[in-house]
Amino acid sequence: MGKEKYEESSSDEEVNSSSDVVEASSDEEVESSSDEVEASSDDVESSEDESSSDNEKVEESDSSEDEVAPRNTVGDIPLVEWHKDEEHIGYDIKGRKIKKQPRKDKLASFIEGADDPKNWRKIYDEYNDEEIELTKDEIKIIQRVISGRTPHAEVNPYEDYVDWFEYEDKGHPLSNAPEPKRRFIPSKWEQKRVANLVRKIRAGLIKVSDQNKEEEHNVYSLWTDDTDSVENKKRGGYVPAPKPKLPGHEEAYNPPVEYIPTAEEINSYELMYEEDRPKFIPRRYLNYRSVPAYDKGVKESFDRCLDQYLCPRTRKKRINIDPESLKPKLPSRKDLRPYPTTCYLEYRGHMGPVNCISVDPSGQWLASGSTDGTARVWEIETGRCLKIWEVGEVARQICWNPSPDRPILAVVLEYDVLLLNSGMGDIDIQTKMKELLHISEPGATEDAGDSKSAVTWIQHEKHDGIRMKHFKAVSSIEWHFKGDYFTTVVPSGDSKAILLHQLSKKHSETPFRKLGIPVTAVFHPSKKKFFVATKKFVHVYDLSKVEKIQKLETGVREISSISIHPGGENIIVGSKEGKMCWFDLELSTRPYKTLKVHSKDITRVTFHRTYPLFASASDDCTAYVFHSTVYSDLNQNPLIVPLEILRGHKPEHGRGVLDCKYHPRQPWLFTAGADSIIKLYCH
Amino acid sequence: MEPNGSGSDASRQVQARFVTRLPPPLRVPPASMAVPSHLTRFGLSDIVNLLLKNSDPDHENQPFDFLIDGELVRMQLDEFLIAKGISAEKVLELEYVKAVAPRKQEDPRPHDDWVSAVDGSNSSFILTGCYDTFVRIWKSGDVSECTHVLEGHTGAITSAKFIDIRGVENEQNFHLVTGSKDRLLRLWKCDAAKRRGDPIRVGAYKILAGHTSSVQSVSVNPSREMICSGSWDCSIKLWDVKESEEDGDGTTISLKKRKVNSKTKESVDARLEGAATSTLVGHTQCVSVATWPDPDVLYSASWDHSVRQWDVPSGKETWTMVCGKALNCLDIGGEGSALVAAGGSDPVLRIWDPRKPGSLAPIFQYSSHSSWISACKWHPRSWFHLLSASYDGKVMLWDLRTAWPLAVMESHQDKVLCADWWKDDSVVSGGADSKLCITSGIEIQ
Repeated sequence: MGKEKYEESSSDEEVNSSSDVVEASSDEEVESSSDEVEASSDDVESSEDESSSDNEKVEESDSSEDEVAPRNTVGDIPLVEWHKDEEHIGYDIKGRKIKKQPRKDKLASFIEGADDPKNWRKIYDEYNDEEIELTKDEIKIIQRVISGRTPHAEVNPYEDYVDWFEYEDKGHPLSNAPEPKRRFIPSKWEQKRVANLVRKIRAGLIKVSDQNKEEEHNVYSLWTDDTDSVENKKRGGYVPAPKPKLPGHEEAYNPPVEYIPTAEEINSYELMYEEDRPKFIPRRYLNYRSVPAYDKGVKESFDRCLDQYLCPRTRKKRINIDPESLKPKLPSRKDLRPYPTTCYLEYRGHMGPVNCISVDPSGQWLASGSTDGTARVWEIETGRCLKIWEVGEVARQICWNPSPDRPILAVVLEYDVLLLNSGMGDIDIQTKMKELLHISEPGATEDAGDSKSAVTWIQHEKHDGIRMKHFKAVSSIEWHFKGDYFTTVVPSGDSKAILLHQLSKKHSETPFRKLGIPVTAVFHPSKKKFFVATKKFVHVYDLSKVEKIQKLETGVREISSISIHPGGENIIVGSKEGKMCWFDLELSTRPYKTLKVHSKDITRVTFHRTYPLFASASDDCTAYVFHSTVYSDLNQNPLIVPLEILRGHKPEHGRGVLDCKYHPRQPWLFTAGADSIIKLYCH
Repeated sequence: MEPNGSGSDASRQVQARFVTRLPPPLRVPPASMAVPSHLTRFGLSDIVNLLLKNSDPDHENQPFDFLIDGELVRMQLDEFLIAKGISAEKVLELEYVKAVAPRKQEDPRPHDDWVSAVDGSNSSFILTGCYDTFVRIWKSGDVSECTHVLEGHTGAITSAKFIDIRGVENEQNFHLVTGSKDRLLRLWKCDAAKRRGDPIRVGAYKILAGHTSSVQSVSVNPSREMICSGSWDCSIKLWDVKESEEDGDGTTISLKKRKVNSKTKESVDARLEGAATSTLVGHTQCVSVATWPDPDVLYSASWDHSVRQWDVPSGKETWTMVCGKALNCLDIGGEGSALVAAGGSDPVLRIWDPRKPGSLAPIFQYSSHSSWISACKWHPRSWFHLLSASYDGKVMLWDLRTAWPLAVMESHQDKVLCADWWKDDSVVSGGADSKLCITSGIEIQ
């Protein structure tokens, strides 16, 4: 019962609130009707099953009612107030007034209601000004809605749950377990993995290939010519067969007259080569049917087929480089004149290979030493031999004193170094030289400090000079530019390998210890520096402090000769394998340039004192002349230009040119050959 | 007047007229005549000889050279006309001169050593300097007769010159100057008297010391009172020789004495000593030649590649020309005695005209030699002729009017070190084969 009460109250409120129409009619009426609805609700419920068969009808009527358009068209206006005094309640669809129904007075309607048992089902529709009689089904629906149930009785809100799949006895892994939480949150491990990939991509460890592009390439153009595409070029340049020529007017059955060759032209075709001859000669026909079959048709199409699949149509990659452009840009030889080119003078007289030559600082005389046991002095301008010293042994090296007032020749023999008075110069120079080359007490001047001296200075009676007796074989000699000091190299001398001598004091010392096997040693042309070449390295010493400054790595097997540029910052080194290395001391301790020019040993490299020239002599019987500009600007590298190959010496016992020296003032080169001739090459 | 043959080339002819400046017996009638155009100078020479023989039956055939517009014909006539762009339609004026060619080779005068200096300015004597330190005087005419041997130098003679060239006819003594590699110049006085027998040994009467290195060349000025010398010490020194002669008085020196170089040695007797009056400094290397053709102008050539002209009174250089080669020889002569001929450390003999403004390029270059040129000399009287000697052993005669040598004398077996004209018609040359060769019979008008 409690439940019913609740339903009552709730239904009251609902009806009140839901429809104004009911309210508008009259309060009593509604109350009464609601009571009746309430009263009949039980009936409705009980007859649920009965009415289920009428459902379709109800629905039909519902739908049909919906289709009936409302007659009144005034819209949603307060009709009670606005049309209270009017005779019409609105307008129909055609604009005609809809008359109000004659209003029944309350008494009549009450009586009528009391008589009519269906009165409680009637509702006044104010909008259309008519009374509507609700059907039983509609009442039932209303009652069910009011009572809070589903409008239709056949709907069962509490149906049995039926699983949407079957799992029992199916051996299927699917479980009915609820979705786990991890399906809905981003994965921690994936996040870590992505972070790792991103880090690697950023670091460049993984290259991201652009996949989109590949997808694009899957779509290819069917009709366009793809020979110029990037892919085609990458594959090696496939070239499609050329398209056959389109037929022109001349191939018409009746071409215009200008296409028809004259008889002369046809005859001239016979004179042409087979390849140049036109393959088709236009002719005129009266009509199309008289055109014969094209006799070469089969052959041409066959040829074309062959051409299409047999001809290797790939684009050959040929690099077209002008060989001239690969050459380094060098100035023309003509602009670098003068340099020695032609041999004009020969100095003949030696009986054996000329080992060494040296030019007097004034440029007037030339000294030479030979294996025939003589040292000679020549007059340069005429080629006359002025003086011969019979030294008795092979003269290995000869060297003029660079000082012009000391015309002294130093000649290296096997163990001895002879200091000879050349006899040049005027009388007072001669007297000075005699004093200088005189040793008062023979054997008295010895290397101080050493019990066993490396060098003994002895007066040489025969040639009026000084004989310096070394303890081991001497290989080279070099004067200091001032002409008082000189150095001799004793390759097998261990700690006494490099000897420094002072001529005026007749004194010798060995300032450099712990060297390898030195080959040659030279003085810096202006500074107090000293260069010692061992077999593979050149050591640069500071003479004032007696310490090593630099060590130059030549990279050659065995150094044979070394020469210092007059500027003092560049040196060239010749090796026994025919290589020449140019060092820029301010640039590096490695060669600035290595020139592989000679096929045999380089015997001598030498710089010109004033001209920008240097030269190399080799056992392959050639001497090379090079131009070398050394710029004072430190940013500019030295310019080295090969200029001339001087040939002319003949090989003798496998040896060629043994020495070369430049004239001190002229761009002339002297070469001493194993064929016992000295040649002068002039510009 | 026949029309030119239009058929084969051999029959093509040109109208020519032979003219000459030779004396009358060698003149041909000036009528123009048709000559075959393929003729060379030898064919033309035959024609002239034929014409001369027509007028003078006693005429002896001799070679002629032909000039067209001042240029010697050295190829076929038609080739020459095409090369020079001369029209063959006009009448050609062919000037003929006697061909310059050596006709006689005299016996060489043997020496003990290389002959390094020769002077032929005296018509009766030849002066030679030798590497054996002796200077020899050879008399003309007689075969290998050495009349004087001048002793005293201690080094090879590089240059020897007659100071006065008066001949033997006035029976006077003549003076000589020699330069040597012993850094000294020596003045000599010789007796020109005819004498038979051994050569006379002569000593120097004066020693000119001052050079600190070898003297390379000596030259006498036109007034015969001064000499100049070039040396390896890069300087040119001027010496007064007039005052040193016993009969000459020292007051008549035309040149002012400038800085006297007094670096003489006490070792030489002061009585014999002479000092330079002036030193011209400017060259940076060995002065190989200094010549003094004009009283006020001195030319020098050096191994520093330059030819310099010096104004003697002021001692300044007035013209410098750098040629790029070390120079060994230089001579002034030719047209107006103004052309400079020089040769050096290459086989090219070059001739410059210092009067030509704005250009230092040589006006002639002769490159028939194959080695260094050691000597070049202008003919004393001709404007066109000069000789050159080279280390290739050849002496060549040149005419400025053609690019080829007129004659090549290959009488030496070794380097030719010196050469000179002698008696206008001979060439004397000395070389490293220790011979003095005399080639005579060179007729130059």
